[in-house]
Amino acid sequence: MMDVSLCWRPPAWTVGEKRMRTAPTLRRLLSALTLLHVMVQVNSQKRGALRDLKCTTNNLQVWDCAWKAPLGAGHGTVNEVCIDDRLHSCYPLEKGNVKIPALPPGDHEVIVNYLHGFNGSSAKFILNEQNVSLIPNTPEILTLSADFSTSTLYLTWDDRSCAFAHHSKVTWEIKVLRTPRMELVNVVTYNTTLHGRDTVHYWRWTSDLPLQCATHYVGIRCYLDHLHFAGPKEWSAWSPLMNISWAPESEAKAFPQDKVVLVGSNITFCCVSQTKVLSGQIGKTFYPLIHLYGQNVAIHIQNISVSENSGTNVVFMIEDNVCGTVVFAGYPPDVPQKLNCETHDLKDIICNWNPGRPTGLVGPRNTNYTLLDSFSGKSVTFKRFETLTNESYQLLFQMPPHQEIYNLTLTARNPLGQSESAILVNITERVCPHTPTSLKVKDINSTVVTLSWHLPGNFARINLVCQIEIWKPNSKQELNITIKGVENSSYLVVVDKLNPYTTYTFRIRCSTEPFWKWSKWSSGKRHLTTEAIPSKGPDTWREWSSDGRNLIIYWKPLPISEANGKILSYNVSCSSHEEVQSMSEILDPQHRAELQLVKDDYIISVVAKNSAGPSPPSRIASMEIPNDDLTVEQAVGLGKKIRLTWPPDPNVTCDYVIKWCNSSRSEPCLMDWKKVPSNSTEAVIESDQFRPGVRYNFFLYGCRSQGYQLLRSIIGYIEELAPIVAPNFTVEDTSADSILVRWEDIPVEELRGFLRGYLFYFQKGERDTPKMRSLETGHSDIKVKNITDTSQKTLRIADLQGKTSYRLVLRAYTDGGLGPEKSMFVVTKENSVGLIIAILIPVAVAVIVGVVTSTLCYRKREWIKETFYPDIPNPENCKALQFQKSVCEGSNALKTLEMNPCTPNDVEVLETRSIIPKIEDTEIISPVAERPEEISEAEPENHVVVSYCPPIIEEEIANPAADDAGGASQVVYIDVQSMCQPQARPEDEQDIDPIVGAGYKPQMRLPINSAVEETAAENDADSTAGYRPQANVNTWNLVSPDSPRSTDSNSEIVSFGSPCSVNSRQFLIPPKDDDSPKSNGGAWSFTNFFQNKPND
Amino acid sequence: MDLRAGDSWGMLACLCTVLWHLPAVPALNRTGDPGPGPSIQKTYDLTRYLEHQLRSLAGTYLNYLGPPFNEPDFNPPRLGADTLPRATVNLEVWQSLNDKLRLTQNYEAYSHLLCYLRALNRQAATAELRRSLAHFCTSLQGLLGSIAGVMAALGYPLPQPLPGTELTWAPGPAHSDFLQKMDDFWLLKELQTWLWRSAKDFNRLKKKMQPPAAAVTLHLEAHGF
Repeated sequence: MMDVSLCWRPPAWTVGEKRMRTAPTLRRLLSALTLLHVMVQVNSQKRGALRDLKCTTNNLQVWDCAWKAPLGAGHGTVNEVCIDDRLHSCYPLEKGNVKIPALPPGDHEVIVNYLHGFNGSSAKFILNEQNVSLIPNTPEILTLSADFSTSTLYLTWDDRSCAFAHHSKVTWEIKVLRTPRMELVNVVTYNTTLHGRDTVHYWRWTSDLPLQCATHYVGIRCYLDHLHFAGPKEWSAWSPLMNISWAPESEAKAFPQDKVVLVGSNITFCCVSQTKVLSGQIGKTFYPLIHLYGQNVAIHIQNISVSENSGTNVVFMIEDNVCGTVVFAGYPPDVPQKLNCETHDLKDIICNWNPGRPTGLVGPRNTNYTLLDSFSGKSVTFKRFETLTNESYQLLFQMPPHQEIYNLTLTARNPLGQSESAILVNITERVCPHTPTSLKVKDINSTVVTLSWHLPGNFARINLVCQIEIWKPNSKQELNITIKGVENSSYLVVVDKLNPYTTYTFRIRCSTEPFWKWSKWSSGKRHLTTEAIPSKGPDTWREWSSDGRNLIIYWKPLPISEANGKILSYNVSCSSHEEVQSMSEILDPQHRAELQLVKDDYIISVVAKNSAGPSPPSRIASMEIPNDDLTVEQAVGLGKKIRLTWPPDPNVTCDYVIKWCNSSRSEPCLMDWKKVPSNSTEAVIESDQFRPGVRYNFFLYGCRSQGYQLLRSIIGYIEELAPIVAPNFTVEDTSADSILVRWEDIPVEELRGFLRGYLFYFQKGERDTPKMRSLETGHSDIKVKNITDTSQKTLRIADLQGKTSYRLVLRAYTDGGLGPEKSMFVVTKENSVGLIIAILIPVAVAVIVGVVTSTLCYRKREWIKETFYPDIPNPENCKALQFQKSVCEGSNALKTLEMNPCTPNDVEVLETRSIIPKIEDTEIISPVAERPEEISEAEPENHVVVSYCPPIIEEEIANPAADDAGGASQVVYIDVQSMCQPQARPEDEQDIDPIVGAGYKPQMRLPINSAVEETAAENDADSTAGYRPQANVNTWNLVSPDSPRSTDSNSEIVSFGSPCSVNSRQFLIPPKDDDSPKSNGGAWSFTNFFQNKPND
Repeated sequence: MDLRAGDSWGMLACLCTVLWHLPAVPALNRTGDPGPGPSIQKTYDLTRYLEHQLRSLAGTYLNYLGPPFNEPDFNPPRLGADTLPRATVNLEVWQSLNDKLRLTQNYEAYSHLLCYLRALNRQAATAELRRSLAHFCTSLQGLLGSIAGVMAALGYPLPQPLPGTELTWAPGPAHSDFLQKMDDFWLLKELQTWLWRSAKDFNRLKKKMQPPAAAVTLHLEAHGF
């Protein structure tokens, strides 16, 4: 605090006077100040000190002190401030403050004089630099501008206000305020250092709210940090505010427009509108409106998600309008992955890469890529509008001449950022040649060709490694060749060691040294090499014709590997020691020639010719050296092969020849032949022509200098099979106990193998026996003889029974199995002695038995008579017969007599049924219905309710005369339909027990309560109902033979519970006996009928 | 159906034979001028086909524009799309137009719309959309040709192409993306309305151009009643 005091002194002079009389008044002034000081010290308590004294400086040169006048210093006071320094300078006090030049460090006494008329007072205080505040001048904003598209404010100002303080640090504070409430949206500090010049400073700030949405104000102040100033330092005052505002258009507009933002960021959109905004939405989502000022509104989106291809739409709906904008939310480009650069032709480098994570930005905001080679400084750019597949990201970089090493950097950029990836390559090691084209083949000779092809690119500096693939039928070969690269892209190589007259397919691919990648295979090129002369003569054989005059020459066509071309013809010549006798040319498809020779000692030579020339001749001697000790051997092959062996023969000098043919063929027979070297002792013959079960003849010839000698003759089968026929056999002789059988050989073609024997079976048996036992079952009565001697042709079978039929069976067998059987029945001759004995013995036995029996019977005749023939009683004593007679006289109806109990009570009369007037079903009309009326008239009381009439019985009824003649018939059958006619006989139905009358009725016409109704009308209905369901238990009870009611005398008519179905057409007629309470007719049933019928 | 290569060749040969003999078919070998009737009919058919094609294209494109453009009830005011030819017209005004004016208006409208569509195609960011737009442009080009054919058949001169039409319709950089989308939306809408209107125009023209013989027949039938 300043030490301040106030002194009162008399007002004596003005400043001008003081200056004019400085020397004489100095003493007085000092004494006055001393006095003032004393008075201040004395009066300070009563008059008061200076109030609110504050000294400041803004340039360090002048201090500006201000205070409030002390109490008592009234208006109109003339003040003066004097500083008690060496100069003792005084300064007039203006308006309560005084500007004092900066004082040196240390305390300075300042005296303030108040001149008040002729009286005066003074105040004193101690002033030090430490008591002076440094407050810089208010800074001034030079410009404030805005970039509305980026919502950025640009501010410029200079440091003129602080320019005095060289090398001092200045801190600037900038504040941004926003309408409508002038809220402070941002305050930043900005440090600079003063350099003594008026430096212009720049500051930039991006608003989160688009600048168009509200007016933004900016103010600035500063703080000077002067090192050599000891007093306190304070912030300057704020500069006047400057603002930035958007001149709204007549149409509503949304901001920011077409902005690209990072996914997940927060963003505010506003709509500047003159009319009321109703809603705001992003995509489909509506957001709450934030009211700014006027009708302007904003919506705030947090954590925005990635946009679709065309961006995310932000739409504000206004009363009669719409305003909107599009925001593009995406990602900065990912680091390009798998950057790979190679060349196809050493002219262009192709770099491809994977873009990595999609940015979500397409169209003009799509990522663009720049490939830069830092060595050459060249770059290429990749820019696509639309979305691409990963494979499409590639760039073509034209190679500068003679540069091999490249440092390639790929930079990806989009509005949100950039990333890069680099690769250092020696391009000569990264060559993947193009596919070779224009592959051509040219003949040099039949085994050598040249291949030429075109490989685009300039490979003059490197070597190419090419792979030639050579296909020929059934084989493939690959050749690797290294050739020096050329500039003109044409390449030529020679390929040798080919086969003449062979179709080859060539294709080629290339790589470079060092290996990087193969090119694709070129397309294949087919080429047929030219012909060469056949390398060998044809394989030749000769056969003499059967008459021994002609020699037939055979040869085999040359295999393609030896023919070396298309064989056009063969030249056949024969020569003796003297001269060439004949020569003939045989055209190709024919492979035999017949020569007529006068001698048997010739050398035959055969030459094959193609367009390139003749082959070396094949020679063969015509002579055949005889062999006396020739035996025929047997051989059996395996599969389609047959192995032949022979002992070594030193006489054979050139080779062995094995020829073979089918044994059934006539001579000369030749299927094929095979030559084997003279040192061989075996040969395996194989041919597709061989068939199992066929006999082949093999002939082994040895070649000597003069000719061929037949060494061996072998018959053989590739595989033996069972004979397909049985041997024909006949019976040569038959006796009572033996048979002699003779058989014939089986032809070779049907034998199908080497015959190993016969099996002969015989057994007793007749020709007509339906089943002869199988031969294989091994029954004891079948006898078998195995004849292994194949030369045996007869067999005698002994120990047979005379006059017995035998079955004889003969089968042949080979190693391939048993052949079919052939059988024959033979009866042995009769043995006469045995026959006689067989007749005599039975005759003698019969005579003896007869004599003994007769004797016995005679002696016991009385006993036999009493036992077997007792006296018979007289039937006329029986009363039953009389009763029957009287009854029978009163009726012409059918009657019967029960024979068992011979009493009148046991006689039953069975009633016939009445005539039925109406037949409904013509199909089932019973013949009974047409019977004469007298039958029904004679016995009107007889009721037939139900019946079952099998047709066979009806036939009997249809013939009443026969029934009458029969005397008594217990049962009569009528048609079921015929009896169901109650209306024809109403008077009878009065007596009918309704229950009994129910019987069987058709279900379709049956009343439910038929069994309990008692009126006649209902009885009628029941009667006509016919078929009664079986479930009617009451009915069943009535008809049961065991039922008590069935024997009740009141039960006049008993119906039958016959288990007929509705389909049954006929019922059994019950035997009715009104008179007999114990009528067994009540017990009639379906089963009784069958039991009683035999009694008829 | 399993068609082998041989079958295809056979069908091709058969088709060639039919085409070769077409001039010999009497019904197709008319020497007389058939008049503008068939070409009007074809133009009408093409218009209907384009209507069908536009339905599919609009679905794809509005989905590409994103919500709320692809919402069925989105019906914004016509912002910034003033340069698009309007198809809507007062019924009385429409009835007062003569055939020549109608055809001319159609021709001019489709010329403009085609230019706009081509610009749209250049901006499309997906290959599928580009294909659809290119296909539709080709069809619309065909419709323009057909209208020109009808006008020529009726003896009307073709309207002169506006100078620098292509440039006028190219999207300007000052256009914001949102306004561009609004334009696209309105383009599709106007196209649809134009196709409706054209179908009506051509139908009217078709009836008008029917040969008089048909009218006589109709008359006789009326007498028959």
